[in-house]
Amino acid sequence: MEKQDIIKSFKDSLFTGLIALALFGPIVGLRTASKGEGLFITPQWGVVFLLVGLCIVGRFLININSARRTEFKIFSTLTSKFSSITKDKAKHFAITGILFAVVFPFLPFTDRYFMDVAIMILTYIMLGWGLNIVVGLAGLLDLGYVAFYAVGAYSYALIATTFGWSFWICLPLAGLFAAFFGILLGFPVLRLRGDYLAIVTLGFGEIIRIILINWYEVTNGPDGITGIPRPSFFGLPFKRSPDEGEMSFHTFFGLEYSTMHRIIFLYYLILVLALITNYFTLKIRKLPVGRAWEALREDEIACKSLGVNPTNTKLTAFAIGAMFGGFAGSFFATRQAFISPESFTFIESAIIVAIVVLGGMGSQTGVVLASIFLIGITEIFRDLEQYRMIAFGGAMVLIMVFKPKGILANRKPTILMHGDKK
Amino acid sequence: MSNLLSVEKLTMKFGGLVAIDDLSFDAKNNQITSIIGPNGAGKTTVFNCLTGFYKPTTGQMYLHQADNKVSLRKYTDFKIAHVAKVARTFQNIRLFPAMSVLENLLVAQHNELMIASGYSLYGLLNLKSYRDKEQLAVNKAKYWLDIIGLTHRADDNAGDLPYGDQRKLEIVRAMCIEPKLLCLDEPAAGLNPKESAELNKLLKFIKTEKKTGILLIEHDMSVVMGISDHVVVLNYGKKIFEGTAEQTKKSKEVIEAYLGVDE
Repeated sequence: MEKQDIIKSFKDSLFTGLIALALFGPIVGLRTASKGEGLFITPQWGVVFLLVGLCIVGRFLININSARRTEFKIFSTLTSKFSSITKDKAKHFAITGILFAVVFPFLPFTDRYFMDVAIMILTYIMLGWGLNIVVGLAGLLDLGYVAFYAVGAYSYALIATTFGWSFWICLPLAGLFAAFFGILLGFPVLRLRGDYLAIVTLGFGEIIRIILINWYEVTNGPDGITGIPRPSFFGLPFKRSPDEGEMSFHTFFGLEYSTMHRIIFLYYLILVLALITNYFTLKIRKLPVGRAWEALREDEIACKSLGVNPTNTKLTAFAIGAMFGGFAGSFFATRQAFISPESFTFIESAIIVAIVVLGGMGSQTGVVLASIFLIGITEIFRDLEQYRMIAFGGAMVLIMVFKPKGILANRKPTILMHGDKK
Repeated sequence: MSNLLSVEKLTMKFGGLVAIDDLSFDAKNNQITSIIGPNGAGKTTVFNCLTGFYKPTTGQMYLHQADNKVSLRKYTDFKIAHVAKVARTFQNIRLFPAMSVLENLLVAQHNELMIASGYSLYGLLNLKSYRDKEQLAVNKAKYWLDIIGLTHRADDNAGDLPYGDQRKLEIVRAMCIEPKLLCLDEPAAGLNPKESAELNKLLKFIKTEKKTGILLIEHDMSVVMGISDHVVVLNYGKKIFEGTAEQTKKSKEVIEAYLGVDE
């Protein structure tokens, strides 16, 4: 490493510090506090200098790291080693992961809090897998995926509260509704790609949310829908005291009543739903339609010249991606028992896209790792309240610096002529 | 020999610019017809009209089949390849670079495989009828890979192949849709003399063994003169000469178009 390089990266990091100062100065440094009557500004220069210092040191380290890749590359070797392990033993890794997920509720350290976080992570894994069909395989950047999540949740909630049908009937209906909305979104955006598509899908997500807020007669507006039926264990409700002449889960199995029963059931429900999404994606990727999605991502004009119908191909990708979003939405509705438009803001779409992109476009295992990483990080830093989004952003920056193509970015061919050589 | 393609009074205007001006020519079955001309003569525009990427301003294009003729104007977009069976390659190679060589050739057989997979239903159920059809598609891909000598690289990404191999792969990928007419846009661009010679061999094979008519845009005269049965020369969107390769070489108009007029 040359002396010049060090001076150059030092200057660069000082400049970064300047930008950080300009940003953090007013945002973090000047805090308004209400004392008695009126607002007063309390400066917090200590925090500002700490943050600016962090930015300078961080930038300097990144600069040095990229200048001398060969000498200082702990993080990247670590991750590349990790990728090579998972590449060779992808199957073992997946089986271990699933086994762990199955026994997780009965591990000694698992309590209510862990279960809630695990359910949340699994919901995001399922959403990530669903969106992976649209973004990872078909290459259509969809920033409004939360719309389908919302459609699924509201369809479930409205059907279940109006007709009182069971979860297992409402779930496919909600998926169908979401798929229908996927096609509805798909039609106007068929000609768009890349940035333009992203903007339109972003708008679509907002339109759905605003309709949910304003269509008071149907969606109950910002008040949301309450009293959504909880799922039952194949007809056995999770109730402490079942109605006259009815069995509930704990009386039927002769167990002591515990609120954990329902949580564990919900956990397995989302685990199964997520695994179905994964299985379906892995299967369909190897079918002609899956290959057409990937070909469309690679080169749309070449697809047309080979007689592949781009309209149908894109619409199926939107519809199937949306359907899984709808399934996840129904699960969300039945778990919360209450939904309102507030749960379906743009930040949700952003998180799901981040999970897919950081995981490595098109990689199923990548989505799992990215979900655990991103949702886990925001949970760990929950005590920091509003600052936890900084941890979230920091995690994204780290991944993008060291693994610009995502955590796991190796694509395996869908069919082999010579068999697996490894 | 019977006509395969007739282009009649084709005109393509972009605003005030006339890219193709009242062009008529025929291409015959089992022949290689070359379209040559200086840069900007409108050669690629002719291809884009034929393969449905542009809709010509006026004029007709007919593809002659056993007993009827099909107007190519009726088909746009992907239907040219799917229904009319006109395949093409591109001036700048358009493979699916992140997909394997074999996958590239399977995407070309998408429509048959889609039906065989029952629009994904039989495929998801993993029925034997679909697995057999898929095996047939793989065999067809292998047949073509054997011909261009790339079978050992079938599982590698298409983007990792050397440039010359990518050109050949794009041609056999187009052949996988079993076209009646194959349109090649500068297939020899960027190839070295050895690779050009291999390309000539491949095109002759397609012509004689597969009975496919070939329409060729090319700047490399060793390719054009070596394999063309018929040459159409364009300049500023107009046909200035039509004849055999030998006649073209001697034509005064063609020499003037390429080298300019003596003052």
